[in-house]
Amino acid sequence: MGSSVGDAAAPPLPPPPVGLAVALPPKAEDKSERKVDYLNLPCPVPFEEIQREALMSLKPELFEGLRFDFTKGLNQKFSLSHSVFMGSVEVPSPSSGAIKVPTAHYEFGANFLDPKLMLIGRVLTDGRLNARVKCDLTDNLTLKINAQLTNEPHFSQGMFNFDYKSKDFRAQYQMGNNAFYGANYIQSVTPNLSLGSEVFWLGHQRKSGIGFAARYNTDKMVATAQVASTGIVALSYVQKVSEKVSLASDFMYNSMTRDVISSFGYDYILRQCRLRGKLDSNGCVAAFLEERLNMGVNFILSAEIDHQKKDYKFGFGMTVGE
Amino acid sequence: MAPASSMEKIKEFLNSQIYDDDKWAVNSKLLGAAGLFAGSILFMRNFGDLMAI
Repeated sequence: MGSSVGDAAAPPLPPPPVGLAVALPPKAEDKSERKVDYLNLPCPVPFEEIQREALMSLKPELFEGLRFDFTKGLNQKFSLSHSVFMGSVEVPSPSSGAIKVPTAHYEFGANFLDPKLMLIGRVLTDGRLNARVKCDLTDNLTLKINAQLTNEPHFSQGMFNFDYKSKDFRAQYQMGNNAFYGANYIQSVTPNLSLGSEVFWLGHQRKSGIGFAARYNTDKMVATAQVASTGIVALSYVQKVSEKVSLASDFMYNSMTRDVISSFGYDYILRQCRLRGKLDSNGCVAAFLEERLNMGVNFILSAEIDHQKKDYKFGFGMTVGE
Repeated sequence: MAPASSMEKIKEFLNSQIYDDDKWAVNSKLLGAAGLFAGSILFMRNFGDLMAI
């Protein structure tokens, strides 16, 4: 009885699609009508990687001089690397900004990569040692250790990080030498927006600081903002124009030193090359090209022209091995 | 010459930031960088497809 009444009241079925409607994709309006499930939000990016798209596009490793890197895999998990650099390095000096120091060094490195454990070590001819350890203690807890040891006294640094990753938040606790303690927390608030905050304490200088960060990302763009009590405001915006092309822009203001810098750059990831270029508000133009000549052989060109300071830096190099 | 109204206070603040040489040096850099950032965002959102391959 009830069912016949129900059938009579049911709306007529839409006609089956004909012609072009079969070939074209269905209308996208059903995406916006999907209800947001606030209990199933995606896991946010780690707090220190909140600006990673902008950093990848806008901060290539520009260098001046010759660079040669050779990576040799001994087996699936273990590889060695040899790296030669001959050129100028900018050393910040208190008197006149940065000064260029001609440098030449050879760096030997060993990498052990396992799904649960990663060990990376690098040692340079001037006696510096870099070590990085990343260990998955459990599915959700990761331990990271970073150390830079030098011959000069009081210049060595070490840092322990404990990262906890949960369904829709991440938390990190850091301990470093010089009595540095820090913690940060980032939470997904909506499927596109995540908010985070960090605190740190420098024991020897009795200084503490707090910072807040927000990240909004969709398929096409990522926008981030970071504010810290050290007086730093950092904003960034990345637009993914296509699979191969990204445009990025960032803005940083330091209210303690009254320094402000903004840059706009592009990142073209093509099959045979990766080209990144940027333009600065300080009148600096830079470009970085990695060209794949052969399987595992990359040719690198780096250029940075600072019109204001009349500083021209060009570098070239080669990378062999993955 | 008591700056009573808030408009006058705003004008006084703006004048002190624009006509003072040191502050204007910093402020012009800030305006330039903010303009580059905002302009590049507008360019990316509206004309980004021009740079696609």
